[in-house]
Amino acid sequence: MGAWSSVLGGFPRSRHVRKVLRDYERGSVTHGELEAAVAEASALLIGAQLAAGLTYVTDGMVDWHDIFRPFVESWRNVTPTGLLRYFDNNYFYRIPLFTGKPEPKGLVLAPRVRRFAKLAEPAGLKVVLPGPYTFAAMSEVRGLEREELAEAIAKLMGSEVRAAVEAGARAVQIDEPLLSDQEAERDEAVLAAELASKVAKEAGEAKTILAVYFDVPKAEVYEALLEAKVSCLSLDVIDAPERAAKLIASKGLKEGCAALGLINARNVYDDDLGKLEELFLSLTKGYEGEPGVTTSTWLDLLPYEYGIRKARILGLLAQRLGVR
Amino acid sequence: MYSVPKKFPTTIVGSYPKFSAAQEAIRRRKAGEVSEEEFRELVKPAIREAVEDHLWAGVDIISDGEQAREDMVVYFAERMRGYAVGDWVRIFDNEYFRKPIISSRLEWVAPMTVDHWRFASSISQGRPVKGILTGPYTMMEWSFDLHYKDRRELILDLAKAIRREVEELVRAGAQYIQVDEPALSTRPWREDAELLKEALDIIFRGIGAKRIVHICYGKLEKILPYILDYPVDQFDLEMVNSDFRLLPYLKEYGYNKELAFGAVDVHKLQVESVEEVEAAIDRVMRADVVGPEKAYVKPDCGMKRLPREIAREKMKNMVLAAQRAREKY
Repeated sequence: MGAWSSVLGGFPRSRHVRKVLRDYERGSVTHGELEAAVAEASALLIGAQLAAGLTYVTDGMVDWHDIFRPFVESWRNVTPTGLLRYFDNNYFYRIPLFTGKPEPKGLVLAPRVRRFAKLAEPAGLKVVLPGPYTFAAMSEVRGLEREELAEAIAKLMGSEVRAAVEAGARAVQIDEPLLSDQEAERDEAVLAAELASKVAKEAGEAKTILAVYFDVPKAEVYEALLEAKVSCLSLDVIDAPERAAKLIASKGLKEGCAALGLINARNVYDDDLGKLEELFLSLTKGYEGEPGVTTSTWLDLLPYEYGIRKARILGLLAQRLGVR
Repeated sequence: MYSVPKKFPTTIVGSYPKFSAAQEAIRRRKAGEVSEEEFRELVKPAIREAVEDHLWAGVDIISDGEQAREDMVVYFAERMRGYAVGDWVRIFDNEYFRKPIISSRLEWVAPMTVDHWRFASSISQGRPVKGILTGPYTMMEWSFDLHYKDRRELILDLAKAIRREVEELVRAGAQYIQVDEPALSTRPWREDAELLKEALDIIFRGIGAKRIVHICYGKLEKILPYILDYPVDQFDLEMVNSDFRLLPYLKEYGYNKELAFGAVDVHKLQVESVEEVEAAIDRVMRADVVGPEKAYVKPDCGMKRLPREIAREKMKNMVLAAQRAREKY
C-alpha cells in the first residue's frame, strides 16, 4: 500500500545551538550570528530528514522555545508569562497572556519557508503551527472571551498559512494536542475542527494536516475532528495502541488521508519495525485513502542524537511499507 | 522542641529558589571539580539561607529547600545504581537537564538526602524538617528506560530503593516523610494509580513517621477513587491553581486523611494578600472535607521557579493567614 512520511514537528537543539542561544541571551552574540547558527542547524536537520527519505520535512524549529512562543513574540497584545507543565511531559511552556485581540507585527512562517523550501527538495517543506483552539485554551485571557480569541488566532494563522504556502510550503500541520485530553468534549472538538478548517482554507494546494497527539482522543472528539476540512488527520497511535486500534476500528480513518504516529518520540529505544509494520497494516486494512506515518509527537524532548535517530527509524519504517 | 500548631499547621512542598552557593556547588560537581562529600558541604550555606527564609516567614514544618537538587529526578538518578548519565533534554526555554537513562537493574547505594536533612534539622530551631523524596512513578516516567521494558518491574525496584532511603531518614529522626509524585496526575489512568499504590505499599509499610504523598496539577479527580486508600497519612495537593476543583470530589469520596492544600499559587508572580490566603482557607473549610486539625496550609507546589523575594512574601502571608484561621476556627 505504501505510506508518505514526516516527522511530526520540531527537533531537539544541538549543543552548539544551545550555546549560541545562551550567548545571545547574555548579549555576547548578535542576532545575525544567532540566525546564522539556527540556519545551519536547520539545514543539517533538513539533510538528516532527506537522508531518511521522508516525504515532508520540517526545518526543525530549533529556535522555538515552545510551540506558541514565536507567534506570541510576533503579535501585539500578548506576552509570555509564567511556566506551566506541557501535557504529561517534564517540560514547561510559558503561558501566553492575551490582554486584547492579537495583532501581527510580522510573519513567523513565511520567512523560514523562503529560506528552506529549495533546500528541502525533493521533499516538501512542512510548516507547523499551534491550532487556534489549543492556543487559546492554554493561554490566560483578559479583556476578551476565549472563543473570540480563538477566532482571532485562526484569522492570524490563516494569514500565516497563506504566506507560507505562497513562499513554497507544501504541507501545513495544525496542532491540536489538547483534543487528546480525555476531558475534552465534542463541542470543543467541533470548534477546533471549524477553526482548523478556516486556517486550512488558506493553504491552497498544499496538504493540510490536523494533528492530535500525546494521547488518543475520545471517540466523540475524534468523530468531530473527522469533519474538519483538512486533507489529513494525524493520530498519536503509539501512546495507547490498543485504544487507537479500537477507535480506528469503530470510527474509521479520515477519508482521503490519515497519518499514524507510530515512531515513539518520547522514548529513546529503537522502535521494532516488524511490529510497527504489522500494526500499520492492521490499522489501514481496507483503507482507500492515503496513509502516512509520523513520529508520535514532536522530537524536541529527546536528546539531540536520538531525535535524529528517530527520524531515520521513521524513514526505515516508511521504506519497509513502501514509499508513496 | 518546637510545638507544631494543632490547627492549620503551615508547611511547604519542598523546593525553594536556588541560592548561588548551591548553583556553584552543582556546577562544580558536574565539572568533576569536587567529590560528593565536598559537594554536600558546599551546598550547606544555601540550605542555611533556605531554612532561614522559612523561619523568617514562620513556616511550621520546613524543608532544606532542595538546594542540592539540580532536578528532582536527576538528583536521585545520579545516586542510584542502574542509571546511566543521560543526554541533554529541554525542560523549558533554553534550560536543559540530563534526562537519566535506566540502563541496568536499579538499586539504592548509600544515603542520598540524610546528610542535608540532618543539617537542616540542626538549624531549624526545633521545627520539623520534612524528608522529601521523588516518588517511584515520577522517577520512572521522567527517565528513559532501556533496561526493564516492564513498568511494574521497574517501579517496584524503584520503590525498594526509595524504601531504603526512607528507612535511613526515619532512623536519623525524620518525623515527616514526603514522596513527590507530580507525574501521576499527568497520566490519570486507573492502572497507573494502582501501580503507584503497590509501590507506596513497599515504601511506607511499617514506617513510623507521618507518611505524605504530594501530587499536583493535572486531572487528579479522574483517579481519586483509586488513590484515596494509598498507605499514607496525608495527601499534599495543589488547589489554588485549579480553583479548588478537587474539593467536591474529595467530599463525594468521603476523604478521611489529613489534607495539605495549596493556598498560594506558585505559578503566579503576584504575592497573594493575607486576606486572599484566608479566603482560600475559608473555601476549604466551607467544603467540609477536613476539620482544622487535619488541614495543613502550604503553597500549591515547590517554589523553585519563583524569585526569592516573592517566595518569601508568599510564605509570610500564608503563615499570617493560617494564624488568623486558627483564631477563626
